[in-house]
Amino acid sequence: MLLNRDDWYDTSRDLDWTFTYVEASDAFPARWSGVGAESADAWQAWDEPFRVSYRDYVRIQREKESGVKAVRSAMMRAGVYEKLDAGHVAASHLHMGTTCMVEQMAVTMQSRFCRFAPSPRWRNLGVFGMLDETRHAQLDLLFSHDLLKFDPRFDWAQKAFHTNEWGVLAVKNFFDDIMLSADCVEASLAASLTVEHGFTNIQFVALAADAMAAGDVNWSNLLSSIQTDEARHAQVGFPTLAVLMETDPARAQTSLDVAFWRSTRLFQVLTGPAMDYYTPLDQRKMSFKEFMLEWIVNHHERILEDYGLKKPWYWDQFMHSLENGHHALHIGTWYWRPTLFWKPNAGVSKDEREWLREKYPTWEDNWGVMWDEIIKNVNDDRIQDTLPVTLPSLCNLTQLPIGSAMSRHDLEPHQLVYKERLYSFDSEISQWCFEQDPERYAGHRSFVDRFIGGEILPPDLGGALAYMGLTPDVMGDDAYGYAWAKDYVTAEAG
Amino acid sequence: MALFPITGRFVGDFIPHLVAVDTDDTMADVAEKVATLSVGHRVPMPTDPPGYEVLLDDVVIPESTVFGAVVAEHDLMPLQWFDVRFRERASVAT
Ligand SMILES: [Fe+2]
Ligand SMILES: [Fe+2]
Repeated sequence: MLLNRDDWYDTSRDLDWTFTYVEASDAFPARWSGVGAESADAWQAWDEPFRVSYRDYVRIQREKESGVKAVRSAMMRAGVYEKLDAGHVAASHLHMGTTCMVEQMAVTMQSRFCRFAPSPRWRNLGVFGMLDETRHAQLDLLFSHDLLKFDPRFDWAQKAFHTNEWGVLAVKNFFDDIMLSADCVEASLAASLTVEHGFTNIQFVALAADAMAAGDVNWSNLLSSIQTDEARHAQVGFPTLAVLMETDPARAQTSLDVAFWRSTRLFQVLTGPAMDYYTPLDQRKMSFKEFMLEWIVNHHERILEDYGLKKPWYWDQFMHSLENGHHALHIGTWYWRPTLFWKPNAGVSKDEREWLREKYPTWEDNWGVMWDEIIKNVNDDRIQDTLPVTLPSLCNLTQLPIGSAMSRHDLEPHQLVYKERLYSFDSEISQWCFEQDPERYAGHRSFVDRFIGGEILPPDLGGALAYMGLTPDVMGDDAYGYAWAKDYVTAEAG
Repeated sequence: MALFPITGRFVGDFIPHLVAVDTDDTMADVAEKVATLSVGHRVPMPTDPPGYEVLLDDVVIPESTVFGAVVAEHDLMPLQWFDVRFRERASVAT
């Protein structure tokens, strides 16, 4: 008689060894597992809600794969890509270049769970997570490879993380920290619970909806298929948090507070501009802020409450950043557009501006006035005055430009000296994150540090672009060749 | 005479820049180097430009002061934050 899954599941996932020839602490070093000997027993209570067997897993994944494949071939045949809006296409370049390799990094993280997680149940689930992430990286590569003949920017799905492009360095810095360098407990709080369970909804739900509205069925479908895996394997964060609340609640609070802020900052650049500026106006579903409030903020608050944690001390500043950070990153990335591998849409035509004002009441005073100066230069044929000649200052925690966390009215210095080096931060919050564990962040050299250290030659913007690996065929420029600025010429003449 | 990198913010702009200042530069030179990256790019030039002033920790540094002397006096490190703004004329006007 064939056993039902429930008959054998608990026995199989609890399979473990009692060590006799080596110390448990040698087989599962605390710096890999994240668990000291004193709390090892508590982790036996770790329990996962997904009762999945390998047989079930393969069957379901196979169905998902054939679904993605069917859409892919239908869309390629229909020539859908060639008809897409240029602003929308930029969002897919940005996503592929910055996300594909993060999926691959997640394979390594999951494989660490498979080997070093402090519970056999978690190690078992890590196997499925590892297979999921392999699928995601491969899907991104396949999708990008199909479209390479239309645009060399899709090469960046594979290439980006082998360059020193500044935005890629910021993404890499964060995931190196929480996926590649973190122990299992830290990775599961920061990467699984905060990023995969929370923030990826912006990329994989919101962006998928925008992509569908823009007619990019293939990409939308790929994002949704990936999201079904994320929603499952991200669950390992919850039992981890539950055990940590028993053994070390202070660590749980700090880890989540740091990860939540760093994720916020990263998604302000990865998704904020794409949602509020690149996506064509008539296809926008929600503003970035609305989406964050509904899908991320409420959700995070609920988790904190359910597990008995406090809101981060910086909550008010975070809410203020939601109003501003991605607008800063948008005007900044557009202005420094030769440093991008995608073509950003300025997204400030009169209609778009009306929408921005409605969604963000402080937008005109915080951002509109600066765009007015840019618009004047564009319409007076002074494009060179809308292009960068030097680097912005960068934050030594987020690696993002200083000034991109809040508005110009809030900008003030946040600098500290640690071991005879001056570190700069984009906010009080980023400085606080650094102070929680300086050795974790100190020593890393930002793009600016490398520039003044003489690693980037010649030491000018041209040298910096070459160092970033940006070639003329992919270098960023205005997505619509400044056509949107014409709105303002007519108005002034009339 | 040596180049010294600073974090230069023009008040009103949203972003500070990496600016290479020379230790022989006067504050007027420093102001010009920082302002030129923002004014006319994202910050409008006023119709009657009042000139610029440089501040360290919210204190205006006299225009003729040489940058190297400021570095020595405050023992500054590379990437020190400086503010530059349009000269405030309120006191002159009254
Ligand atoms: Fe993934
Ligand atoms: Fe994942």
